[in-house]
Amino acid sequence: MKNFVILAVMIAIAVPAYAAVGKHAELDGVWILLGTNIEKPQLTPEGEKKRAAYDYQKDDPDFQCKPASVTRVMHTPSPPIQVRQHQDYVEVNYEFMDVRRRVPLKKGLAAKDAPYASPRYPHLGKSAAQYDGETLVIETVGQRAGVLDTLGVPGLYQSDQMRTVEKFNPNGDRMQVSVTHYDPVYFIQPFTVTYNYVRLPGGKIEKWDCKPEEATFERFAK
Amino acid sequence: MYRKVAVAAIIAGSLFLSCGMGLAHHSVAANFDGSKAMDVTGKVKAIEIRNPHSQITLEVPNPQGGVKEFYVEWSDKNALLRRSVPVNKIKVGDTVTINVSPSKRLPNLGYFRTATLPDGTILRDCGFAAFREGIVKGRSGCEENAR
Repeated sequence: MKNFVILAVMIAIAVPAYAAVGKHAELDGVWILLGTNIEKPQLTPEGEKKRAAYDYQKDDPDFQCKPASVTRVMHTPSPPIQVRQHQDYVEVNYEFMDVRRRVPLKKGLAAKDAPYASPRYPHLGKSAAQYDGETLVIETVGQRAGVLDTLGVPGLYQSDQMRTVEKFNPNGDRMQVSVTHYDPVYFIQPFTVTYNYVRLPGGKIEKWDCKPEEATFERFAK
Repeated sequence: MYRKVAVAAIIAGSLFLSCGMGLAHHSVAANFDGSKAMDVTGKVKAIEIRNPHSQITLEVPNPQGGVKEFYVEWSDKNALLRRSVPVNKIKVGDTVTINVSPSKRLPNLGYFRTATLPDGTILRDCGFAAFREGIVKGRSGCEENAR
């Protein structure tokens, strides 16, 4: 009887705590990109100016093996991404550039109060996650000003005021991830990129181990 | 049969070269002409299977005498392994013929399509688009690469 009471108390404590972070959706796994839908960005004059001045040979962080942004990382088609949900945090791991994000799942936690999601790449900002029904929502702030995209829409820039909202929607062996960028400096309207994925059975995230001297096409011009 | 396989390989290669990367200045599609193909025969000086792009260095005869280097760009290491491309069949010192899509900017650079090995074997890579299509259809990816 005593054990039953203890168990009942434990369940009474655990269930609301689990419910507070939300329901874990069917997102766990390794996913490869099927395709993207990129809205036409509505840029401010400053955004247009920056894009016009963008010179990939000098400005593309890829050549220094540095991921410009999560948006840019997800544009690379062949390296998969991985989602692993835990009780109080979610991991989103990207093979490209070895980006590993650990995002806290804590009700009421603001992104600005969260730790840097990727200690190796703090310029990717601070993120907090929660569930909205089956949708995993990650909000990110504190991203460093610089190049936002070099592949989907080359020459997009972001300011340090940018806020992004990522929504991970599961659908069996398919997953859709939308990333909406709110940046008053460079975007007149929120700019959304939608990525469609298919589950990679038995897939693993391998090491990328990028080296700058091997990353640029310019090495052929020597 | 051979013709069908060759056509399929070219289509797969073209799909790969155009898969969602057309806008980037440093992307494969922007740097290589996927609509063209050319054979380059030479001795393998180096093969570096790595990320973000693999590279084969060939020594090809120079019309002015001696040899010059020709670079063959290829997919990232992880993708090649995932697609079961038997890259270890290309060996340093072997004379091979590699069919490439030529670079739009550099005369000594091309993107891998197929390689004809010394014993006549043709090494193929189905490319990412075909791999992805295989996954969608419930296959393991590019079975033909492993043959």
